[in-house]
Amino acid sequence: MEGDNRMDDKLEQMQSGPDPENAPPEGTPAPEGEQPPPKAQRDGSASRDLYLNVRVLVGMMAAFVLLFTFVVRVIVVSGPSMESTLWERDLILVWSLGYEPKQGDIVVLTQERYQEDSIIKRVIATGGQRVDIDYGSGTVQVDGQVIAEDYINEPMRLPNWGEGVNHVTVPEGCIFVMGDNRNHSADSRHPDIGIVDNRCVIGRGLAVLFPFSRWQGL
Amino acid sequence: MKNSVSGRTAWLISAGGAALAAALLRRWQLASAFEPDSGLAIPGAQASVILTCVVVMAGAWFILLALRQTPDPARRWDMVFLGTGDPVFPGLEAAAALLALLAVPVLFVVGVGQFQLYQAALDAGVQPPSNNGMLTLATAAGSLLAALGLLQMGRDGLRPGRRGKGGFSAALPGVAGCVWLMESFRAHAANPVRWDYAPQLIAIVAGMAFYMDFAGMSAGSPRPRRLLWLAGMSAILSAASLVSTLAELSLLAGGPDGALCTAELGDALLLLSQTLAAAGVLWRLPPSLDRPARPNSPRPAGEQSIQEETTDE
Repeated sequence: MEGDNRMDDKLEQMQSGPDPENAPPEGTPAPEGEQPPPKAQRDGSASRDLYLNVRVLVGMMAAFVLLFTFVVRVIVVSGPSMESTLWERDLILVWSLGYEPKQGDIVVLTQERYQEDSIIKRVIATGGQRVDIDYGSGTVQVDGQVIAEDYINEPMRLPNWGEGVNHVTVPEGCIFVMGDNRNHSADSRHPDIGIVDNRCVIGRGLAVLFPFSRWQGL
Repeated sequence: MKNSVSGRTAWLISAGGAALAAALLRRWQLASAFEPDSGLAIPGAQASVILTCVVVMAGAWFILLALRQTPDPARRWDMVFLGTGDPVFPGLEAAAALLALLAVPVLFVVGVGQFQLYQAALDAGVQPPSNNGMLTLATAAGSLLAALGLLQMGRDGLRPGRRGKGGFSAALPGVAGCVWLMESFRAHAANPVRWDYAPQLIAIVAGMAFYMDFAGMSAGSPRPRRLLWLAGMSAILSAASLVSTLAELSLLAGGPDGALCTAELGDALLLLSQTLAAAGVLWRLPPSLDRPARPNSPRPAGEQSIQEETTDE
């Protein structure tokens, strides 16, 4: 539409009259031999300025919403399940575009059979991996290897809903997630959440944006 | 486009046909491209691919249609929508205004209900819902603004002597669209299935851009061919989005609550309003872009009065 824009620009010039930037300030007497622009033209210039400002604002709003729909999200953490990595009311930036979950990532997902709002957890295992949780020793094994979890808040105990999902091979296209605050987290061990389809993942947590004192990459 | 086919006919047939196709494809997509139990989108579903292709091809066809029309540089663009002998454009804008006005009480009731739920949760000391209803109430207020703006656009189309005064009234629905867009985004922020809501968000954005270009016609910044393109795209995307909104609405109405006064009804009314406003532009603007008619051929309705007004200057 470049040709269209050129033509449209020409039209615009013809109708908006003289360049407002080169026009003398209001109240300045016109130089001898020149007439001040008629009132209709001045009004037109003011309405054009107003229009252009509103257009910029509307355009920015549309761009922001599209950006926050398809590329990134900003999510407020609610609940203690990711302490001490993330705290209640932390504002985090989430990357959505083309994301495929990987082991160890912090992800935002929605499992509607558990709750309508999104939840934030850490990916413990991805499709094809075997997960075994041993509450006796408080360890998690993935493919037979105990994973090092320096991020968990406290040693893991048996949750109040029982053992739940604790020995499982994750199907392809799915992930097994857990909260870093294991004893206060409803996650893939919970029967209502269980294994999560990759398509339920909204994106990967990139960084804590607020409070500034805890700004950090995830 | 042959010379014998007027710009208006080409635009109306193209936009109408594409909107119908998009609506039917969206219906097919809703029936076949989502898993029945989880509602998750099936990757690479035929209906989704074809719907995307149709929208992209329609966009490309509209670009070609727009490029075939050469605006007359001598035309007064703030006069383009003034046609005293043409009742169709004001009629469509008035109908669009009425629909936007109908959305006001619906969204207001929904917003108040959401706010009361939020307050009740706070009073009970339990975790309140993430939605406190404020954005829905703001959308209701925005719909009122949009209705006033659309009504003024219709009036400006009827009344001679109001040249250049209709600019900002057309921007009102565009500004109101910002609030509606935010509310629509908020309502789906936790939904991982983008196909559920992306058509509606894009339809709202197309509508906002279309209204802003409409306002630009009377504010010294005319983009007639881009306005036509945006009007066509608004009609298509709104039609596709309307199908899914109506499907949700029928589900809710048939549910245990039987609730009809929902945010989906408000969305449906606003989408329909946007479609009618776009149809008005597709009806009124192309004759102004057609190449000069032969001496003996009759002018489209309303052109006579515009020319008379222009030569009065």
